[in-house]
Amino acid sequence: MHRIIHRISRSRRISHKLGLAVAIAASAGLLSGCMGAMPTPMAALNRQLAMVGTNRAPSLSGRWLAVITGRGGRDQVLLLDVAGNAHVPVPGLNRGDAQPISVGVDASGERLALVRQLEGRTELVLYRRSLMSLQPIPMEPAGVPHQLAMRADGKELAVQISRDGLWQIDLIALP
Amino acid sequence: MGLFSRRSVGPLGPLGAEDRQDPAISGNGRFLASVLEQGGKAMVVLQGQPGGQTVALRHLRGHEPHSSPSLSWNGRYIAALVQQGPERVAILEDRATGKLLRLPLPNGSQPARLSLAPDGQRIAIEVTEGGQSRVQLFDLTGQLEPDLPGGLAVQGGPSAP
Repeated sequence: MHRIIHRISRSRRISHKLGLAVAIAASAGLLSGCMGAMPTPMAALNRQLAMVGTNRAPSLSGRWLAVITGRGGRDQVLLLDVAGNAHVPVPGLNRGDAQPISVGVDASGERLALVRQLEGRTELVLYRRSLMSLQPIPMEPAGVPHQLAMRADGKELAVQISRDGLWQIDLIALP
Repeated sequence: MGLFSRRSVGPLGPLGAEDRQDPAISGNGRFLASVLEQGGKAMVVLQGQPGGQTVALRHLRGHEPHSSPSLSWNGRYIAALVQQGPERVAILEDRATGKLLRLPLPNGSQPARLSLAPDGQRIAIEVTEGGQSRVQLFDLTGQLEPDLPGGLAVQGGPSAP
């Protein structure tokens, strides 16, 4: 009798282990790169990014990459031409007394949107590169912007806003 | 209303009040992804626009918390950060074929945010390594068909309740 119970118990343990192994394998299989070859790191650009200091909050669109870089205790928006492997100037976008939080760029590299803290306030601004102009986008109803995403065609922003104790998302059409 | 017209992304449930974070919008504006806090889980929700109908995602469920979704031009590709065991991993789902791509990261680095190029041919991933943030770019040419302006939208089925 003891032998039979032992066998059943052992059989259950094996079955449990097998089930666990199948579950782990299924989970691993689910996320194990089903499309064949691996993506290739873009070494030259990655080296260039590493040289400018820390960088975060990437926005990639068309040939453009916007990131927030930190060097010497100061954060600023950096625009890179990925195809040309070069920095692109954004005169009038960065201010020494502003702290950028989130940035987005459109596929033409003409429009950038930025959430930044300035003089104790958090604001959303739209930058047009050809005009070197910066335009505030008011929060209506009132709220505090945080993260943003820009549509690749530059026609709309999706903005995460703190409002009434909740995070909400507004879609803002750009003229 | 001023120069900028706006609309709020509507609630997903009947109760109305929901935390919605980390927005991503497809290049053509037809899809919006965001992270919804519900039942202690942070889940990526994909919605058609402007109607707001939810669209099913095949590979993300069970790998919460999700963060940092990003969409290609027609919404064919959605990339996000998900949890696999103790690891944060960057994945990309092809909604047209149902296939999944896991994006490898250097050992010891944790992904924090990502941004997929609208054509799906590159991806930028912010990783944290030794307390420092840096952005790494990956070339996806040859891995994914380009998702270009004017391409066909992948509608997908409605999300399971």
